[in-house]
Amino acid sequence: MTPSDEAPSGRMEEFQREINNVKVKSGSASLERQLLGLGILLALAGIVVVIVGWYGASGTAVLSDQIPYVISGGMLGIALTTIGAALYVRHSLSRYLQYWLIRLVYEQREQTDRTIEALAKIEERLGSRS
Amino acid sequence: MSSAERWSPPVPRAEPVPVLELHDMHAAYGGIEVLRGVDLVVHAGHVVALLGPNGAGKTTTLKVIAGQMQPTSGCMHLGGRHCNGAGADALARAGVCTIPEGRGIFPNLTVTENLRMATYGGAVLSEVLEHAYDRFPRLRERRKQVAGTLSGGEQQMLAMARALSTDPALLLLDELSMGLAPLIVEELYGHIARLAHDGISILIVEQFARTVLAVADIGALMLNGRVQQVGTPAELEQALAGAYLGATT
Repeated sequence: MTPSDEAPSGRMEEFQREINNVKVKSGSASLERQLLGLGILLALAGIVVVIVGWYGASGTAVLSDQIPYVISGGMLGIALTTIGAALYVRHSLSRYLQYWLIRLVYEQREQTDRTIEALAKIEERLGSRS
Repeated sequence: MSSAERWSPPVPRAEPVPVLELHDMHAAYGGIEVLRGVDLVVHAGHVVALLGPNGAGKTTTLKVIAGQMQPTSGCMHLGGRHCNGAGADALARAGVCTIPEGRGIFPNLTVTENLRMATYGGAVLSEVLEHAYDRFPRLRERRKQVAGTLSGGEQQMLAMARALSTDPALLLLDELSMGLAPLIVEELYGHIARLAHDGISILIVEQFARTVLAVADIGALMLNGRVQQVGTPAELEQALAGAYLGATT
């Protein structure tokens, strides 16, 4: 086979033109890691909002003044914490299961390699006897 | 040292721009790093064989090149342009075509219907059929047959015909020989040699080392997520003989 080391062919030039039009995303590819971090941040933010809400509500004995703190501090805070925790658990589990699966595959391959090696040794010994 | 410090953009050069260049490419599944610094170059019209045992990272390398998986670090150049983060669909439109392991045909559709699926990118059906049947006459005989009932070799021909209808500049082939008889594999590699002669650059992932090296210009031996050795088929034969591949025995 003769590689085309001369000037770029028409298809190559066209390829270069088309590649130049391809949109390239920048930044980290690890969306999962970003979502995991986002989950932690949301959960922490929710806890802070709950504390702020509690602090605001505790500063007044008037029920009508406490309701906004309950809504913004209590409900919003709990919602943020729940969403954050759900994101964290979902992506932590996903990472753990990926790791577990790859580990299983790896161990299975190791096992197969050991079996092949053992069979080769048996074959070699049988061959040397005959 | 960060990957940005390790690698610097390529300087202008007189030699032709390679179709594909990978520099210190890293990729991971979750927390498990599979590619640990892959360096690979494919020049226009070359057939490059990427060899290695199971788990070496060959298929992952193809996925990264095809845009199906994003690298964690490193750099990919296609036609001289930095292409990290490009989508698989955009790369496919530009001319990076993958034939996956297992062929990726539609088993419940006929040969003609499978080829019709390749026309949704804008190709004309009559031209696609004409080129496919000219290149693989056996597909013409089987054109009304359901693809799932074709032999393994014919299915691979169909996958190749469909891929070629997209006029690829870079063809990525994953385990062409998987489950096929050696004679069929040899015949398919004959087609590969003709494609390379027509100017298509081809990167083949393969464990059937001997057969693929017969048609490859360059071989790259991959182990543990890195390209350990790159050389001509004759140079690689020596390395393979003492290595790991069942296909070399």
